[in-house]
Amino acid sequence: MIVFDKVCFSYGERQIIKDLNFSINFDERVAILGGSGEGKTTILKLIIGLIKPDSGKIIIDGEDITNKTEDHLREVRMKFSLVFQEGALFDSLNVKENVAFCLREYTKMPEDEIDRKVRELLRIVGVEHAMEFMPEQLSGGMHRRVSIARSLAACEPRMFLYDEPTSGLDPVNADNICKLITDLSKSGKGFIVVTHKVVDALKVANRFMFLKDGELVFDGDREKLLHSDIPDIQVFISELNYAGVKDV
Amino acid sequence: MRRLKEIISDLQDFYMLSVRGLLSIFKRPFYFKDAIEQMDYAGAGSFFIIFIVSLFVGMALSLQLSAELSRLGLKIYTGKVVGISVIRELGPVVAALVFTGRVGAGMASELGLMVLGHQVDTLRVFGVDPIKKLVTPRIVSSIIMLPALTIIGDAVSLFGGYYIAVFVSNQSGTLYWSSIREELIFENVFSGAVKPFVFGYLIACICCYMGLSTKGGATGLRQSTTKAVVTSIIMIIISDFILTRILLYVLGFPV
Repeated sequence: MIVFDKVCFSYGERQIIKDLNFSINFDERVAILGGSGEGKTTILKLIIGLIKPDSGKIIIDGEDITNKTEDHLREVRMKFSLVFQEGALFDSLNVKENVAFCLREYTKMPEDEIDRKVRELLRIVGVEHAMEFMPEQLSGGMHRRVSIARSLAACEPRMFLYDEPTSGLDPVNADNICKLITDLSKSGKGFIVVTHKVVDALKVANRFMFLKDGELVFDGDREKLLHSDIPDIQVFISELNYAGVKDV
Repeated sequence: MRRLKEIISDLQDFYMLSVRGLLSIFKRPFYFKDAIEQMDYAGAGSFFIIFIVSLFVGMALSLQLSAELSRLGLKIYTGKVVGISVIRELGPVVAALVFTGRVGAGMASELGLMVLGHQVDTLRVFGVDPIKKLVTPRIVSSIIMLPALTIIGDAVSLFGGYYIAVFVSNQSGTLYWSSIREELIFENVFSGAVKPFVFGYLIACICCYMGLSTKGGATGLRQSTTKAVVTSIIMIIISDFILTRILLYVLGFPV
């Protein structure tokens, strides 16, 4: 379980997260919604220990990670698979080398075994044909897919963390990524998806959180979200009406 | 007060990166492939520019000295003065400045872009130490390739000086080379050989630190790259003075 206990975080003078309290089970399918700069990505970085809170506690699996060193955080990070916005592929490596990065780093797997494993992972995410491509040759959607494959090769995560997985993608690609996210969670592994696209959030998640000015103003299920009287949420929901979406 | 705290914190971070980057050379895992790639970029990639710059520096120096020494009737000392200037001082400094402009700026912008593109965070997520993976290979490549480039640059400068002395100033080529050979004593060679190692280490640490501290998009990247180059140049000049002072004292040169 992930527990945030009165967590505060600021970048310089600007406070991003204010007294944040919540708990999420590893098997939950959570979407964190909110506008740009509201601290959504910051939450993912705090969970995985890339940044430290100014105050408060972050507890992962009963263990307070707030003051852990980089060496100790490695164990915590292995529980998650984080897919950054835009994919964050290493641009000096091709797709195969990107996916094989952790296999080469941490295992003594022979090359043919690595090749087989990489092929398998790329097949799961649907970009097997792009094995020899360099990152700059990939489209936005393929970037995210390869990034997901790479994170799957890194470890056996208990939970996936997705940072704006569909932003900048056309509706078809965005829908494919949503399907992939749903498929990967079928084995009982949960995820936290950070997005400002409510359509995509409704496709994949069953618990929704809404951030406004660094505070959690909503935490509930789909029905509660759709009937919320919070003005900012209503603006987000209106996206569904514009899109003519009745049932996602 | 806040600014002072920030400066102290930056210096502390820089110190930690420099020490950890160097000590990681002796710790597993070893990133040989990354180091070789960096050496190829820093060394082979800089050869041509070092060649051109050193050639013209040697020629300009020889030209100036020939003109001035001719007036004093001391033209025969051109080779001697060119030799001392190039081997002890100009060669290492010129090579380091060129290295900063080409390799240092490249390091800072590459690492800066990796920070902005979350590639450095990705390494941390995968449990890979970014200092060991990114900084150490760059330190290794700099402290190996800059001395090598300096030796090549020195040789090219001396040839440039030879061309001017013999074909423009009508001096004896044999005399030019024999006066240079006289200056190839341990004290002079050692003095010129120590500096590139220190400069290489400084350039790599400063540029990697600035690159990894990049914040705020394209403007931040421009600032960090500029800061990396400017700080490296200033530190090369200051450390050159300090090293010269120390080396002259240690090697027993009277000042």
